[in-house]
Amino acid sequence: MGAILDFARGPLFRLCFAIMILGLARIIFIDLWAAYRAYKKTDDKKMPWKLILGRTWEWIFPAKRISHDFRIYSILSILFHIGLIIVPIFLYTHIQLWKGAIGVSWPALPFGWAFWLTIGTIVFAVSLFIGRLVIKQTRQLSRKQDYLWLLLLLIPFTTGFICANLNISPQNYQFFMLVHVLSGELIFILLPFSKLAHCVLEPLSQLVSALAWKFPPNTDDDICTTLNKKGAPV
Amino acid sequence: MKTTQINSEERIKAFKSVKKPEVIEKQKLNVRYHVEEYDVNDRPRRFLEAFAAILKHSNYRMALDHYARVVSRCSRCATTCQIYQATGNPEDIPCRRSELLIDVYKRHFTIGGLLKGRISGRGYLTDEKIQQMADSYWNCTACRRCVLECPMGIDHGLITHLARYILSEIGIAPRALVVSTREQLEGQTKNTSAIPVPALQDTLEFLEDDMFEEKSVKIKFPVDVEGSEYVFFPAVSDYLMEAETLMGIAAVFTATGDPWTIGTGYYDGINYGLFYSDRILERVIKHVDAETKRLDGNKVLIGECGHASRSAKSFMPVYCGGKDALPVVSILEYTHKAWKDGRLKLDPNVVTEKVAYHDPCNFARNRWIVNQPREVLKAFCKNYVEMTPNGDNNICCGGGGGTVSIDEIRSYRTTVGGRLKAEQIRKSGCEILVAPCANCKKQLRELVEDQKIDCQVVGLHDLIYKAIIFDDSQIVNKEEQPAGNQDETGKEEK
Repeated sequence: MGAILDFARGPLFRLCFAIMILGLARIIFIDLWAAYRAYKKTDDKKMPWKLILGRTWEWIFPAKRISHDFRIYSILSILFHIGLIIVPIFLYTHIQLWKGAIGVSWPALPFGWAFWLTIGTIVFAVSLFIGRLVIKQTRQLSRKQDYLWLLLLLIPFTTGFICANLNISPQNYQFFMLVHVLSGELIFILLPFSKLAHCVLEPLSQLVSALAWKFPPNTDDDICTTLNKKGAPV
Repeated sequence: MKTTQINSEERIKAFKSVKKPEVIEKQKLNVRYHVEEYDVNDRPRRFLEAFAAILKHSNYRMALDHYARVVSRCSRCATTCQIYQATGNPEDIPCRRSELLIDVYKRHFTIGGLLKGRISGRGYLTDEKIQQMADSYWNCTACRRCVLECPMGIDHGLITHLARYILSEIGIAPRALVVSTREQLEGQTKNTSAIPVPALQDTLEFLEDDMFEEKSVKIKFPVDVEGSEYVFFPAVSDYLMEAETLMGIAAVFTATGDPWTIGTGYYDGINYGLFYSDRILERVIKHVDAETKRLDGNKVLIGECGHASRSAKSFMPVYCGGKDALPVVSILEYTHKAWKDGRLKLDPNVVTEKVAYHDPCNFARNRWIVNQPREVLKAFCKNYVEMTPNGDNNICCGGGGGTVSIDEIRSYRTTVGGRLKAEQIRKSGCEILVAPCANCKKQLRELVEDQKIDCQVVGLHDLIYKAIIFDDSQIVNKEEQPAGNQDETGKEEK
């Protein structure tokens, strides 16, 4: 198991991480390129930047965006996202791994914070899972993948917590660590190709929506020609 | 603010179809709105061809690609959708509605979707799915309130707009809108209400006489005056149904003295293209542009109409020359500025009833016009009350997105669409509800009638007309006035 774990933590990690970075870079590039082309195509170059940036900011830091009709669920969702971003990036052991691999490090979360934030993230994820099942409109809207994603995201948090905080045998440690690493790598690979892509695309959403209403000129003529409707009555 | 779900009796009333079964059978389309005769054969193929053509010549692909990647189904949109709140039908959740079209896009216009479809042999666009879209996308009022609630920034209103556009290209669009638009673009009268020029002129003269009787001021509707600062395009139905709104607008211009005119070449601000077709949208906008240029006007002035204002404001630069396009001004902006500059005086003792203001979605959602009409109203309505939520988070009248013009779905609009609005109006206790939009006014009047709410629905300028104070120099002593009115140049009128 030790050899598998070394492989998972070494070359496999590098591969999965590269897929994630390149995949995310690809979709960001596609989005920005499409936005650039849309901007070039339209004659109306005046963008409502204040509105776009204001709404983007409000959703990246959604303190003002807690839904009145959906208060608990939206608070849980915000806290879950905070945990999801903060814990993996600012965990001391993760930073040490980065330091060992590429020599770069950054300030880590104090142990107590990391401990409670991890527990919190697990609790929030479980609550959101239950919420999806219990709340009528959420249940009506959820697909299988929406439940599976929450479960998949739970795995590295719970296994990481077990490895870091529970007194377990070396074999069990290796097993949980392997599951921890592999589940994390699976998330890395799936990130650019699933709804989790919103982690990088969400800040572009308001721009895309605003640009989408900036139509190109003379589409009437172009579409009529393409659809062979020239001269057809309304 | 939330509303309760409709009961079974209301459901039957709301979803009752007035269409004959044989028409539904012949058109292979079980929707409540009337559709003109069209080719029902091979609909999926024709739908995809139209979709492909639109994608080729538009910017929608960018949005669809983005939305397909980020859609998360968090269901926050469900909490704000007044249609879903009233029906409880999951098909009415904005996210689910949008996915009807996004799924077609993913399956037929992305490499991944095409491969997946080939391998699984599933997911093809079917005739049933087209029927589902035809029903679902016209249940939506396109109010775009869900847009504010979506953490992913998905503009469900845009998707509704696009889906209706594609459907219209294969012949599925409400007859009420298509027939009106045909008259506007290809008919003799060139307007959606089919008002011929002589009838328009008669109406204007009649209103001028009426105003002179009431105010003793020569308030004019200038017609075809070249070189005016403003060329005026109201919702043309105002000439038939909203005389007081028009009189208020004419009164404001009389008070300010700014040159404005109505053109007889084209005088309709209504643009149903915003609701169902970009091609129509473009053609109508170009008519507005051409008429303003014909009269050598400097600015396009749109009357009290949310969708007409948004169409012109947002799409004049798109279709008529970008930054060189003619500026578009809403009458609400104009009146507010005139009042703020001290050129418009209003009597605070005339309107004593409890007054509330309804934000038309097309003014407020993008925070374009929110405070201006409120400031004017508060200046002369002693008993002004605010309805909440308001501004960019306002509640739609329930007849948005062109649905108000579809008379055969009135019971749906007033039972489902406007249910939440009705509760909001009741809660405010207002006696007068100001709605500066032709569509909102029609819908809200039907709503208060059907929901039995004791409230009068008026336009902003209806109240301004009541309260406006003219300079003494403008008031004519009728006894001294010679027979026959005279215009500013001293030339005797007909």
